[in-house]
Amino acid sequence: MTEYLIRRTLQSILVMLLITVVTFILIHAAPGGPKQIYLSPNLSPEAAERQAANLGLDRPLPVQYFDWLGDLLRGDLGYTFKNNLPVGDLIWPTVGNTMILMGAAWLLSLIIAIPWGIYNSTREYGFSDQTASFIAYVGFAMPSFWFGIILQELFALKWDLLPLSDMWSMGKEGDIGDLLMHMVLPVSVLTLGFLAGYVKYARSSMLEVLDQDYIRTARAKGLGERRVVFRHALRNALIPVITVLGLDLPILVAGAALTENVFNWPGMGRMFVQMATQREYSVLMATTILIAFFVIIGNLIADILYAVVDPRVKLGRKGGASA
Amino acid sequence: MSDTAAPVTVKGVKRAVSERPPGLWKTGWKKFSRNPFAMAGLVIVTLFVLSAVGARWIAPYDPAQIDMMFPNLPAGSEGHLLGTDELGRDIFSRLIYSSQISLLVGFSVAIVAVVIGTFIGAVSGYFGGWVDTIFMRFVDVMNAIPLLFLNILILTIFGSKFWYMILILGFTGWMGVARLVRGTFLQLREMQYVEAARAIGVSDWGIIIRHLLRNASAPIIVNATLMVGGAILSESALSYLGLGVQPPDTSWGLMLSNSREFMLVDPIQAVYPGLCILIVVLSVNFIGDGLRDALDPRKKAFKPRKGLGK
Repeated sequence: MTEYLIRRTLQSILVMLLITVVTFILIHAAPGGPKQIYLSPNLSPEAAERQAANLGLDRPLPVQYFDWLGDLLRGDLGYTFKNNLPVGDLIWPTVGNTMILMGAAWLLSLIIAIPWGIYNSTREYGFSDQTASFIAYVGFAMPSFWFGIILQELFALKWDLLPLSDMWSMGKEGDIGDLLMHMVLPVSVLTLGFLAGYVKYARSSMLEVLDQDYIRTARAKGLGERRVVFRHALRNALIPVITVLGLDLPILVAGAALTENVFNWPGMGRMFVQMATQREYSVLMATTILIAFFVIIGNLIADILYAVVDPRVKLGRKGGASA
Repeated sequence: MSDTAAPVTVKGVKRAVSERPPGLWKTGWKKFSRNPFAMAGLVIVTLFVLSAVGARWIAPYDPAQIDMMFPNLPAGSEGHLLGTDELGRDIFSRLIYSSQISLLVGFSVAIVAVVIGTFIGAVSGYFGGWVDTIFMRFVDVMNAIPLLFLNILILTIFGSKFWYMILILGFTGWMGVARLVRGTFLQLREMQYVEAARAIGVSDWGIIIRHLLRNASAPIIVNATLMVGGAILSESALSYLGLGVQPPDTSWGLMLSNSREFMLVDPIQAVYPGLCILIVVLSVNFIGDGLRDALDPRKKAFKPRKGLGK
């Protein structure tokens, strides 16, 4: 187990380092080079030269990379062109808001999807199963932001049931009831995108387990169906679902970004797009790396959990690569 | 196999022997054509492609023609089937011209991504070793970066040009294909015909292209089809955020972002472009699923699962 943990953690660190390399290359491959990215376009040529020298942009690339990496590790994410604010001050406040949105959608889809998937696995190709398939097809093919717009037009503009956008109403910051009202629409949009996939996944994972010999044994020794499904099958069927949750993180983040833009939710995604239109490259770069780090940590946690609940992994006897 | 073998034997033993057994593509088409969803998808996508190609003749107006005398006309107005937008541009014409962009992006991105992914997957699956390790770590890296953010970042650095968008979406979308091709190659390279080919002196690239790729083509095609839908969705998202297609060009995502500003005046404007995206992507995905069922040889022996769980 310890060996697996160490190997997996080292792997994650390697991937993180490679991500910084990719981003660094991207900065230097930009049409104007790093000067376009780090220097404000409003500077005079002499001032630009001076600042480039200050930033060390005239030094050899490897030196620049390690300096930049060192800054990153110390938490120094750079400064914005406009007002020269520390980039971190812009990013950190949005992280929590995005987490609220993603966490709620994620929990909600799990709470609905797992029981639904189990039910469908016991009644294959029944009405409920077909409905889930239908929702999955539509959910995968529908632009989530369009679904958000339609919900806004119906529930906020036409029927006036829910707030149109933002996180709080004016003057009600901190009111949980108000926050919940604002969350209903964006969380529904995000959930729909994931729900159907999880239902199908829980279903097929359950079906696979129900086909195993030990389930037949359990039935053969006369256990009730309820006991077979919940005690013997369910626990094993949920194991692969953990991995999918980890692997889906990047999609969830992207979905959240679009939803935030539709609902004017003050999260990372909306901030990112605003900064993109203002060409604040340092912010964009730092956010991309930060989100990639979150995703890698999420995947690492999912893998560790997987190893904890599935003893085959730590013994290294799991057949085939996880690819 | 049972249902496809029947017509051959009916024709008489002599001909059945001289004919080659029906190939993958022939049996595949037979199965595909019996799948109502896949066929419906094929018909709808064909219609969209035809209207995109013939946009010049089908669209009643120039999509960029501004007519400030008649802004925000409702659907069914005289001369404007689906009404006009805030600048008096004909919505129906704009939808048709948008389909050009969206379909072009969808198919081109799929092609770019499949070429890159197939190359990387083939090389790492066939040669293995350190090449494989490096490429697969690279795949891990690409998979860990949320692509929407990466795409926005690259588009802001390099500028939102149409061809850039296709290249960027392609260069950031090949990982699935690479893994798929690598996995297939890992299996196929152990086959005896590969060993035989190697024994008679076929070069590595000859084996990859002539033997392995041809045998891996079915899953690649399925994957490519499913990628078209994803690319159309990505394009619409980027254009919606203002970073993809730029006016005066038009795309469904851009129309959606326009319609948002006039939500209070003319909410129905937001419905059409989204519906177009939904229908096209759904149809493409139906085709992809139909292809997967049709080309997967394991599915030939498909028997309904015994109701153990019932």
